[in-house]
Amino acid sequence: MLDIRNLHVTVEGREILKGIDLAIHPGETHAIMGPNGSGKSTLANIIAGREGYTVTEGEILFEGKNLLEMDPEIRACEGLFLAFQYPVEIPGVANLYFLKAAVNAVRKYRGEPPVDAMEFWDLVHERMELVKMDESMLKRSVNEGFSGGEKKRNEVFQMAVLQPRFAVMDETDSGLDIDALKVVADGVNALRGPERSFLVITHYQRLLDYIVPDHVHVLVNGRIARSGGKDLALELEKQGYALYNEEPGRARRAA
Amino acid sequence: MTNVAPLFSDPYRQQFAEFMANRHEPDAIARSRRTAFDCFEALGLPTRQQEAWRLTELNPLQAIAFQPPTHAAIDAQALPALDTPTHRLAFVNGRFAPGLSRLRELPNQALVASLGQALLTHPERIEPAMNRLPGLENHAFALLNSAFWEDGVFVHLPRETVVDAPIHVVFYATGDDNAIHPRLLLVLEDHAQATVVVEYRGAGRYLNAPVTELQLGAGAVLDYHKIQEESPQAFHLGGVRVQQDRDSQANLHLLSIGSQLARTDLQALLDGEGAHCSLNSLTLVRDTQFSDTHVRIEHAQPHGASEQIFKSVLDGKGQTVFDGMIHVRQHAQKTDARQVNRNLLLSKQAHAHANPRLEILADDVKCSHGSSTGFLDPDAEFYLRARGIPTDQARALLVHAFANDSLNRIRLTPLRERLNRLLADRLTLDITEEP
Ligand SMILES: Nc1ncnc2c1ncn2[C@@H]1O[C@H](COP(=O)(O)OP(=O)(O)OP(=O)(O)O)[C@@H](O)[C@H]1O
Ligand SMILES: [Mg+2]
Repeated sequence: MLDIRNLHVTVEGREILKGIDLAIHPGETHAIMGPNGSGKSTLANIIAGREGYTVTEGEILFEGKNLLEMDPEIRACEGLFLAFQYPVEIPGVANLYFLKAAVNAVRKYRGEPPVDAMEFWDLVHERMELVKMDESMLKRSVNEGFSGGEKKRNEVFQMAVLQPRFAVMDETDSGLDIDALKVVADGVNALRGPERSFLVITHYQRLLDYIVPDHVHVLVNGRIARSGGKDLALELEKQGYALYNEEPGRARRAA
Repeated sequence: MTNVAPLFSDPYRQQFAEFMANRHEPDAIARSRRTAFDCFEALGLPTRQQEAWRLTELNPLQAIAFQPPTHAAIDAQALPALDTPTHRLAFVNGRFAPGLSRLRELPNQALVASLGQALLTHPERIEPAMNRLPGLENHAFALLNSAFWEDGVFVHLPRETVVDAPIHVVFYATGDDNAIHPRLLLVLEDHAQATVVVEYRGAGRYLNAPVTELQLGAGAVLDYHKIQEESPQAFHLGGVRVQQDRDSQANLHLLSIGSQLARTDLQALLDGEGAHCSLNSLTLVRDTQFSDTHVRIEHAQPHGASEQIFKSVLDGKGQTVFDGMIHVRQHAQKTDARQVNRNLLLSKQAHAHANPRLEILADDVKCSHGSSTGFLDPDAEFYLRARGIPTDQARALLVHAFANDSLNRIRLTPLRERLNRLLADRLTLDITEEP
């Protein structure tokens, strides 16, 4: 589904990703762990199409198509989703209106008519229950004044409504209490299926108790230092990243 | 006085003589016209050497020989409507158009009429109120209006009169080189209440220079909306004077969309304890449009409050000027005055000038002001695009959100909804689908 080949990325002249190879097949869930500043969000942003990054080498194929040539909105319409590490507040744009605009943009791309109002409402309600989100959040501006946990929940809610084929979750578990964490995991697990894949970025093994990954990768200093099964996460939890760190001085402290 | 009049006033002098020769009106009114004209001659048209006019490009205006307005008839379809029963007064090229107007019954001796007619029927109500408010003494276009006004609106609400239906006034102008000087005089006695919408529209290259006087008695409440949607070739130079007695509340909304050159000078005097003035202004410019708002809020008595929110959206080579002064007199303790100016640039060639000013002579007050100018938030734009929304629509949504915040402060629902749609149309956004 997603094929990353020898990906090198620089930001403002500095190389952040130094040759990533990663193949994610339909139905698989991969987890990426790694120290602060190792390039996890950079990878997520590159996949979603954020500006400000330069790919100096390599490529990303999404279902065989050259992903790096597509505008961010086209990627989304093709079925790609990024749950942001830091969701943006957008005052004045109501959550529900925004979501409907997104759903209709995707439908238009596929040559489908705008969503039927009742159908949309039913879907929204069903998904809201899935992530235990309060109905009042629909009328509020996108993420404005939301708590950290509410923002993350809103990301999962959007994902549940848009039903992408491939989703990158960038630290969606950070800052969540254990109940919220379960809710987020339930949201992801409800969407898991043979045609849908996930890339879950996290610092904490505990998320992977709920979203059990097929593969775990350790990203250190712009390279995948090791890959393994779900047990690798437990190992990392005990030993930390010191083993993998070629340049120990480079790792930043947790923010 | 006239011997120092600069040369350029000559065409005005002849026009004024012709204008006065045909008028039949009370002496007091004729005298006030002469006084205003004399002041204008002494003052002359503004130049950019004057601080208050430094940024206003008047050359294109001065290159045109404006004439007294011609007669014109227009179709009722050309006029904006409000989707609710209203007291409606329509004017074409400054003259009252009874066929396009509809006046309803009013309670308690209240009067809502064209100024020209009211001058015939109720001169005793107009004379003591006209030209009595302070402010705009040195504003050349306000002086020209005081000399040349022909018609306009007179609203007089005696004590405790509440007019429920909005008073809807439309000034439609058409034809090139017409100079129109509408005059609006609104007197709300103690505890009277009204909602007023004044819309300026037209087609062609004309000059519209209205002056509005709003007088609020104790406890009076006025919602006043000035909607400037003139033709793209037009010049609009308006003056607004407000005077508020104790505990009165003036909610003023200014929307500036049309004209090649627009300027509004507004001066409010909070002259009674506990008076409250709120000012909500939204300006949209594009191409080479220029829109200027000069405001002076004068707190003269204790416990007054004023809040001003000025927003502008600038595209193309558009320019806006916001010049806002809050003046708190020594006696006006416990004043609470706030002013916010936010400018959203959609193009690198657009320019927003901001000049917020405070003059505080009292020592126990709460005053704040802030001004910011910036482009759309790229993170917000990316967030929307990452959900599948195309760039144009994402940007339009963000601009709409910025500007709609101003429109949503309008309490008059049919007007607010119409303006919401106008804004969406201008941004080619489909908001009819809004859940
Ligand atoms: N836009 C940018 N401008 C400058 N430097 C950047 C930019 N984006 C990322 N970087 C740098 O790239 C490196 C990798 O950042 P990235 O956000 O990908 O790390 P991360 O693995 O997601 O870290 P964390 O666990 O703290 O979220 C960091 O050193 C960061 O400062
Ligand atoms: Mg990160």
